[in-house]
Amino acid sequence: MTETQTKPLVVEREDTKPGFAGTSVPRKEDKRLVQGQGVFFDDIKRHGMGYVHFVRSPYAHAKIKSVDVSAAVELPGVYGTLTGDEVAILTDPFFELSVPPGANIKDYALAVGRVRHVGEPVAAVVASSRELARDAAELVVVDYEPLPAVTSGEQALTNDVVLHDDAGSNVVWEGLFDWGDYEGAVAEADHVVKIERLHFDRFSSTPLECSGVLVEYNRGTGQWTLHGNHQMPGVGAIWMAPALRTGIDKLRFVSQDIGGAFGNKICLHPQYVACCLLSRKLNRPVQWTEWRTDQHTANAHGNERTFLDIEVPVTKDGRLLGLSVKAIDDCGAFPRYEPLGCIIWAQVTPGCYRWRNIRVDFTQVVTNKSPVSPNRGYSRMQHLWLTERVIDLVANALDLDPVEVRKKNYVRADEMPYETPNGCVYDSGDYARCLDIALDLVGYDDLETKRLDAQARGKLLGVGIGSTLDSGTNNFGQSTLLNPDLQFSGNNEVATVKLDIFGEIVVTLGTVPQGQGHETTASQVVADILSVTPDDVTVRAGHDTYWNSHAGLSGTYASQFAVTGLGAVKGATEKLAHEIKRVAAGVFGATPDDIELADGMARLKANPEAAIPFMGIGAIVNANNAILPEDVRDVTLNCRYVYVPPFTLPDKERKFGNLTLTYATQVHVAVIEIDPETGVYEIVDYAAVDDCGTRIHPQIVEGQVHGATAHAIGAATHEVFAYDEDGNLLTPNFYDYHVPHALDMPPMKNAAIESPSPFTPLGAKGMGEGGGAGIHAVCAALQDALRSAGGATVWRSCNPYHQVWQYLQDASSLVEVQSK
Amino acid sequence: MLLREVEYARPGSVEEAIRLLADNDGARALAGGQTLINVMKARAASPDLLVDLQDLRDLRGIRDLGNGSVEIGAMTTYADLVADDARSILGEVAASIADVQVRNRGTIGGNVCSNDPTNHFPPLLVALGARFTIVGPGGEREVSADDFFLGVYLTAVGPGELLRTITIPAGGQDGFAAVTIGRDGTCIVSAAASLNGGARIAIGCVDAVPVRARELEERIGHDLSEENVRAAAASLGTMLDPPSDVHASADYRRHLAGVLAVRAVLAAKERP
Amino acid sequence: MTSKRISLTVNGEVVEYDVDARRLLVHFLRDDLDLTGTHVGCDTGNCGACTVLYNGVAAKSCMLLAIQADGATVETVESLAADGELTPLQQAFSANHALQCGYCTPGMLMSAKHLLDTNPHPSEDEIRKAIQGNICRCTGYVNIVEAIKSVAK
Repeated sequence: MTETQTKPLVVEREDTKPGFAGTSVPRKEDKRLVQGQGVFFDDIKRHGMGYVHFVRSPYAHAKIKSVDVSAAVELPGVYGTLTGDEVAILTDPFFELSVPPGANIKDYALAVGRVRHVGEPVAAVVASSRELARDAAELVVVDYEPLPAVTSGEQALTNDVVLHDDAGSNVVWEGLFDWGDYEGAVAEADHVVKIERLHFDRFSSTPLECSGVLVEYNRGTGQWTLHGNHQMPGVGAIWMAPALRTGIDKLRFVSQDIGGAFGNKICLHPQYVACCLLSRKLNRPVQWTEWRTDQHTANAHGNERTFLDIEVPVTKDGRLLGLSVKAIDDCGAFPRYEPLGCIIWAQVTPGCYRWRNIRVDFTQVVTNKSPVSPNRGYSRMQHLWLTERVIDLVANALDLDPVEVRKKNYVRADEMPYETPNGCVYDSGDYARCLDIALDLVGYDDLETKRLDAQARGKLLGVGIGSTLDSGTNNFGQSTLLNPDLQFSGNNEVATVKLDIFGEIVVTLGTVPQGQGHETTASQVVADILSVTPDDVTVRAGHDTYWNSHAGLSGTYASQFAVTGLGAVKGATEKLAHEIKRVAAGVFGATPDDIELADGMARLKANPEAAIPFMGIGAIVNANNAILPEDVRDVTLNCRYVYVPPFTLPDKERKFGNLTLTYATQVHVAVIEIDPETGVYEIVDYAAVDDCGTRIHPQIVEGQVHGATAHAIGAATHEVFAYDEDGNLLTPNFYDYHVPHALDMPPMKNAAIESPSPFTPLGAKGMGEGGGAGIHAVCAALQDALRSAGGATVWRSCNPYHQVWQYLQDASSLVEVQSK
Repeated sequence: MLLREVEYARPGSVEEAIRLLADNDGARALAGGQTLINVMKARAASPDLLVDLQDLRDLRGIRDLGNGSVEIGAMTTYADLVADDARSILGEVAASIADVQVRNRGTIGGNVCSNDPTNHFPPLLVALGARFTIVGPGGEREVSADDFFLGVYLTAVGPGELLRTITIPAGGQDGFAAVTIGRDGTCIVSAAASLNGGARIAIGCVDAVPVRARELEERIGHDLSEENVRAAAASLGTMLDPPSDVHASADYRRHLAGVLAVRAVLAAKERP
Repeated sequence: MTSKRISLTVNGEVVEYDVDARRLLVHFLRDDLDLTGTHVGCDTGNCGACTVLYNGVAAKSCMLLAIQADGATVETVESLAADGELTPLQQAFSANHALQCGYCTPGMLMSAKHLLDTNPHPSEDEIRKAIQGNICRCTGYVNIVEAIKSVAK
């Protein structure tokens, strides 16, 4: 393995502004984390606490005839149990987002009457130790009557076996998206390229820390306190409070450090509700820590999507005029956050390309597999993989250069902001430039030499491009395009900044960081506005509902912190800055415009010697306000700001409107070598070029790019949640679900350009998810390598060695060209 | 994820260990624990008594017997093998097992006695023609590699017995080839070869026990040219009945067996 | 016996404790000794989040029983900056942004320490080999390798 070039090549960036934003300051989070002094929920102990172990279904689909906990309850050390029958009495089913039939699905904290996926919690046992809880769980006797299992989206569509009788159908949601004039495009085209089938595999980010919570119930006040790792507590509470028949403020979510989430810690409400009921029933704190096996089996897969009957009208000079596709999305046994995935992809309907006539027939179904949860790149990644496969397969089929086809069809930098066929507005970006840089980094001009060299060593070389967008800051109004009765729109995030009596600046965030460095980047923004240093700014670690610096949609998800989180911080700090100036002006008998902030002081512009340090300002307001003029006495120095992005309601009829505020770019190139004797392949070179606008902390941005790339490489090569025909998960642990380890990573070359967003407070765009570019690049590279060995169509997103061997044995093409 | 209740003993001598194993039906020897602890966490097996062998220092170590052969104590760790150069193939293969933490604890004895079909050492030791010295209440006996691996997680080490040493006969033209799930991951198919005039070849991951490819050995005979080896191996797959799983179909395993057998033999040939 | 009073040295101090035979070392460290820096990330000994130095070598504490550790020496991440002063390795992790969520970091640091204690000038390949048993889902290992390189001059 050669040396990795990790010093990124920054090709272009904005003029450096003075200040901390834009520099890579040391992270505040690191000091505690490198000493093992982080506080993750499982680190917390409470006197008398009980440990929860869930009894889970061994069947993919079965009726529950009876649940008998009597033997478990008798085991010494067992504090109590909870069953589905109790849950059905004590709670109401969770709020469903879909229209009928999906709206009629009944989803509870434990299985009620039926189990619908292997690993579904059926009962819970609480005991004085982890081991005893595990032992007791084995004593719970559940009588099942197995039912046939539905293990694919296409099988679910037949409705031969229906999972939810209340719904009467396995369809969660279906709809037709039709923008532009697809038929007109076909008439204009010289060719129609038809691709029979593509399949995006089921996988997830598998954060190293599993899900969990420690719940305490206060009998006197009816208050639950949840120390957990839910990454979107605002939404979690919206699900949980009505189910528990309690007020939203009765659920206090507290977290400090979270060991990664990547979207997989959004749908924890069923287990959380079970723990809430247990803590109340048993009158003691209860802790549930998810096992790795359970995370893989029963929590948070990424959406699995099958694309059928893909048709692409193309002109003879390689312009793609449109796309028609039938998509079947398999969301597992319960929708939960779904069917939002049925619209989220439309944030990037055309991908990076200028085709205007897009028709998508989209159906989402339940199956007897683990429920899905938004997973890094949620729903856009699946769609962008489709567009990239299409570009490549069209280029392949028409014998066109995949680089030229992309450049011909990319949205151009001079067209930005660019309105897509369904009304999303791409804010900025230069895809062609990113592509040029990426190709240069892998020495693309030398491709043929590399190919011959590989051939001499008996290997097949391939190069592939993956160009994607990470659309960030959701307009929740898109949910109304799925269900017009939903009352969600826009977005929000909150922050507070205060100046304390001794001059300490303290920030609270509404977000829920899981490693993205929110404390650090927030302090940079505050420091620049107040003219202090990040070390002078304290950002409270984590999230706490009691800080009241959150709103209904607070959390960390959807690649938005740089926009919403920092937008809120900026707004709150600007408010505070103005209040500081008002106080100083009041003391000096001047106006706020006469005051400037510099080096932790408020001073007269005309006479800098007349300065009050922030400590003085804080002391006056907090303890000495009689010296202030009357008209300044409303100052609190405790400023709360709600950042609201500039969204409007989308047009429900046309399914038209701007669905996300920012669109970061990723163009990645992978070079692979296949050993044709075995199907084993290696990524021998890799370039990642990213553009997320203004980078507040370049090192953090680069770290996100590395991590997103690793996730994509894992998903491209080995990571798949594969099931047998009975609905058993075949990859429930890290032996069989192989994620990239240090030796599995290719040499990576990174570069960045900065195209600031015109729509955001700081010109920054969210970028933490990436768009799965590595998956698309590796698939394209495999396709390229296989051209000289049969030319099979790479039809799935995850291609383990046995799949590559399959392509070598059976070089079926799934592509057909109809020409005029 | 968590073990059932179990009893624990830490004998100070091999005799004491054997006595504990023989006197208790549900007793299992605990060596490095890199397999057994996992098995017990999953509750796939739950011994009544763990007999911890860590104090049996005589069972650990690599001894050059002077005539080109090497004697390895069962409690010798993979890390010990990596650090030793008595027989280079042992360290090379050990270095490809999992990771540093596993290699610091895992033992060659545990690797062969657990006889997981995907383990590295069973096919390698069959190819090397190793001999296994087993001690029990009835005394000591030696079993050849061909007779050591008996079935699913089953070896010639019976209840109440312990593997004491593994003896590798003189040689050195050894090769090992595998396709694994990622770098240093679990084997999907493996092949080991040792040359001494002719070839001894064993294939791993295609059955409950390593498969000695005798017909392939006969076809190769003494003609170790690449051409002959490839031609001979072309039909190896047809003689195997490997399992299908999420990582490989039976056909893919058959194919890999042929390819890897060739690579193992050629690597053995090239070893100085 | 199903339980035993063990005596072992943890981070330089002798500790005596009654443990059940089935208690995993990692839970003994986290739950009984309140050394919560060592983490649990999986059920099958693959992820390495639980890595400690056991008798001086890197080992996964979820694959050891506490009762086995009677008489042993265990060092956890809490032993590194014992006097509050970060070690060069810890500083390098921060300076190189080799941690994001920090969950794999304690185990990663112990594996890196074991490497540098036995091989002060490793190549990049040797570094990757040394941390092969530590899964990270945040960093792609890029900056972790850089951090270790920067200390192994």
